[in-house]
Amino acid sequence: MSAAWKNLLLRHETILGVLLVITLIVLAFQSDRFFTADNLLNQGRLMAEVGLVALAMTFVIVTGGIDLSVGSILGLVAILLGVFWQKLGLPLPLAMMLGIVVGGVAGLVNGLIITRFGVPPLIATLATLALYRGLAEGISQARSVRGYPDWFFMLGQGEFLGVPVQLWIFGLCAVIAAVILGLSTFGRATYAIGSNAVAARFSGLSVDRSLLLIYTASGLIAGLAAVIFVSRVSTTRSDMGTGLELDVITAVVLGGTSIFGGRGTIIGTLLGLGLMQALKNGLALAGVKGDGTIVVIGAVLIGTILISNIFRKDADG
Amino acid sequence: MIRKTLFAAAALAAMAGSAFAASAWTGGDDLPTNPLACDGTAGAAAAKPYDGGEPTGAPDRKGKKITVVDVPKLIGIGYFNATSKGIADAAKELGNVDAKTDGPTQANIDQQITFIDNYITSGVDGILFAANDPVAIAPVLKKALSKGINVVGYDANSQPDARQWFVNQAEFNGIAKAMVDNLAKEIGEEGAFAIVTSTFTTPNQARWIAEMAAYAEKCHPKMKWLETVEAQEDNVLSFNQATTLINKYGDELKGIFGMTSVATPASAEAVTQANKCGTIAVVGLATPNAMKPYVEKDCVKSVVLWNPVDLGYAAMQVLRAVADGDLKPGATSVKAGKLGELQVINGSEILLGAPFVFSKENIGQFDF
Repeated sequence: MSAAWKNLLLRHETILGVLLVITLIVLAFQSDRFFTADNLLNQGRLMAEVGLVALAMTFVIVTGGIDLSVGSILGLVAILLGVFWQKLGLPLPLAMMLGIVVGGVAGLVNGLIITRFGVPPLIATLATLALYRGLAEGISQARSVRGYPDWFFMLGQGEFLGVPVQLWIFGLCAVIAAVILGLSTFGRATYAIGSNAVAARFSGLSVDRSLLLIYTASGLIAGLAAVIFVSRVSTTRSDMGTGLELDVITAVVLGGTSIFGGRGTIIGTLLGLGLMQALKNGLALAGVKGDGTIVVIGAVLIGTILISNIFRKDADG
Repeated sequence: MIRKTLFAAAALAAMAGSAFAASAWTGGDDLPTNPLACDGTAGAAAAKPYDGGEPTGAPDRKGKKITVVDVPKLIGIGYFNATSKGIADAAKELGNVDAKTDGPTQANIDQQITFIDNYITSGVDGILFAANDPVAIAPVLKKALSKGINVVGYDANSQPDARQWFVNQAEFNGIAKAMVDNLAKEIGEEGAFAIVTSTFTTPNQARWIAEMAAYAEKCHPKMKWLETVEAQEDNVLSFNQATTLINKYGDELKGIFGMTSVATPASAEAVTQANKCGTIAVVGLATPNAMKPYVEKDCVKSVVLWNPVDLGYAAMQVLRAVADGDLKPGATSVKAGKLGELQVINGSEILLGAPFVFSKENIGQFDF
């Protein structure tokens, strides 16, 4: 077997892809209701928000950073959407736009703290995780906003050509993200920063500018996810998106993105997402209770990374 | 701007000081209240047409074996373990129901929706639920109805048209009266107190607090509300919040209301650790097992609740009755096994009964 073939076969994405196929087959045998178009599309609907945020998170983690504040940004934008629309009386489309912009600003603030003050991303976004959630709770005064017009639910509950609307949005964003990370100069700069930020800086890359852009994008997309989320559940609450960051990071890391930076792909993240959602849904349909499902997901995460590491060592040696 | 704000705040404070003395407790909701009479005369039940939903194309399930899933707010806490036991008891007694409980480990709307969604796909005949949010859960419940699944809620309601029936553990004004009367008895008519709740938006707690405010204003107008604090349904956070209240208000604080089965024992523990047993009264909603140590030490005198085992039992019985076609819109009562005949209220709700006050004399008889 040629080295190129061997490389392709032993890539984390290939291993993950095979694992995903096996999982789908096994789960399909466990429950005849799993592998139906209806169920799979519905799962796509449920995973769109986590998926959107995971796209941006892939960039963040590839640079060697992390963004723990995405769940809180989602909560903040959800609340602001309601406040802008109901309390300030803005038209709903404008409120949606403004909400997403606020998400971007929140992300930009993360980026500024990290680049201007040299605070490690883990600490910076841990701080804003608390800060943004606190803002959301303070602004909402813990009252939820309800009674959105029917057209708004199109985004989170409607379908276009038989496919959930948010899945189209997610698909589009995924393609854009894959192209940027895989094929553009910006993508190559992202990898360079993650591999060695100092070297990247001395090579003339504007590291700070790239990081600012990436964290802002992370906030923007968390804002977009918030709007979709509100539309899906038809109400806003300040506790929305709690714990979202953990699901997102799990999917990204499962997808083979190195937490130390420099390595990772959008395809990997998509596979990781798919595997996680398939397990959650398939195990539930097969009669496994919720607590058991979490255990399996944890085990799969560790297992995949171990297998991937073993193969990589073999390939290197 | 600052002056304006200050002026507004002053005006608000003045208003709060007079007309709205007790009606503006933080943590209540904006819905109209209906306080009971101070002397305990039963409130008149207003007749109301059925406002629940209907499953579309439900098969004839009369007498047939049905699969039922119970999705509470969260699993792994004493309260929902008790409702789950009641559901299992009823299922066993009925003999033709296969019931199981599954749900998120945190009271999270998104996860609860996903659980229900998965069970709809897996093809259950009936869903029992306790909503984390009445509006957020509605779309997925409507989806269940549209697939011909029987849907019955208990403990925490959804929008009425998203389910068929709701088993109401106790009317909000009934609980409110029991809570406020008992605290007034312990700390006197002019005592000051604070409230530890889950979150300001949790539907039950918000409703109770609003009703308590209304009832206190009507029957115990001199009692002084200090503050409502949020503590999720988290043990450590509840303890910390209660301790903060004790330190913040010092001798002024005479009583604490615990609004959740987590907040009440945590508040009692905070009072115990601060050596304030006997000087700060704790009255709240909680399960007896968690409260036994404090009740036996005389640190807590009244624990208000219904019997959650009965609540789960009733919910399962109601679901079976609906699936059998025995409970139809417009009915005024329903047979619920050993609980006897339960009354229909508010159009599409079934009342479990009057709230129960656990005290030193009776708490030993309960184990849940």
